[in-house]
Amino acid sequence: MSFSRLSRGTHFFSCIRTHLHRPPSLSRCLIDGVGSRYNFIGANGKNIYAQTNHGCKLKNYNVEKSCSISFGRQYATNAATTATEKKSKKMLLYLTGLVFAMVGCSYAAVPLYRRFCQATGYGGTVQRRESVEEKIARHATDGTVTSREIVVQFNADVADGMQWKFVPTQREVRVKPGESALAFYTAENKSSAPITGVSTYNVTPMKAAVYFNKIQCFCFEEQRLLPGEQIDMPVFFYIDPEFETDPRMDGINNLILSYTFFKVSDDK
Amino acid sequence: MSAGGAFGGNRGARPVPPEKGVFPLDHLHLCDLEKKDYIDCLKSTGHKSEKCRQFSKKYLECRMQKNLMAKQDMSELGFGKEGELQTSTDE
Repeated sequence: MSFSRLSRGTHFFSCIRTHLHRPPSLSRCLIDGVGSRYNFIGANGKNIYAQTNHGCKLKNYNVEKSCSISFGRQYATNAATTATEKKSKKMLLYLTGLVFAMVGCSYAAVPLYRRFCQATGYGGTVQRRESVEEKIARHATDGTVTSREIVVQFNADVADGMQWKFVPTQREVRVKPGESALAFYTAENKSSAPITGVSTYNVTPMKAAVYFNKIQCFCFEEQRLLPGEQIDMPVFFYIDPEFETDPRMDGINNLILSYTFFKVSDDK
Repeated sequence: MSAGGAFGGNRGARPVPPEKGVFPLDHLHLCDLEKKDYIDCLKSTGHKSEKCRQFSKKYLECRMQKNLMAKQDMSELGFGKEGELQTSTDE
């Protein structure tokens, strides 16, 4: 509401603008009287300041006049000015608060999104609701029989510039949901210095990642290989039998487990 | 970037660590024989995991003996009753 009052006349608005940004100058204007007119205009625009030094130019005269007219109006509506000033100050505070609220929301969005992903398994998040051992025990007592054979293929990647040869020991494993399976990766340090690496994994297709439970593996911890050392890295995983009953998984018979090794600074 | 998800894909979620944690690496190659048996079995049976379960069980037992894995009952890891079921269906 205060904004509409402010924008009623452009001259009025432009004069008000300086009030918002430089309240001290306004008080100066009010106190000084006629001479203050020049100060007031000077605050309005930087180029006009220079012109007032040279005296009253014709170009500027109109600006001065219109401003002085509105200025005169302001003398009369002093009380109203301070009221609108208060309202505009309130508006400013409200808008500033809104900006901070927006920034705060964008910071809060990160953990909120993560929680949303954990709850819904959106985008391939591997979910965690009950531990795998509990799941295995539950299905063992239920006697769930699964019939669909799923091919789990393995993929291994190494970060650029890392001199490791990292390959899966077997190309694929055919497993039924509900059966825990073992798989191996082989890594060899081909350089002449010990290299420490850390790995991360991914399961595709994304929506099947919910049912892929890793019981134990070699990821997320730094693994150090001496020069020329070759080592076998096992992965022990389990596919939830509920995979079979989920209609979204109807066409999925292939899972790809992909590991990528990244180099950790080897100055240790 | 990633195929799944309209927005973000995998960006918002951090990969979840494994249940029982990390396998300590077998630097001294203590369980190499068992591993070799398992891999050979896989190759011979067309990579069918269920046919080679006894070898993977042996491998895990080897690991437990050599302190490369936390000791645990095999049935908890899905081996005990499954193995029995396996033999009954094979016959």
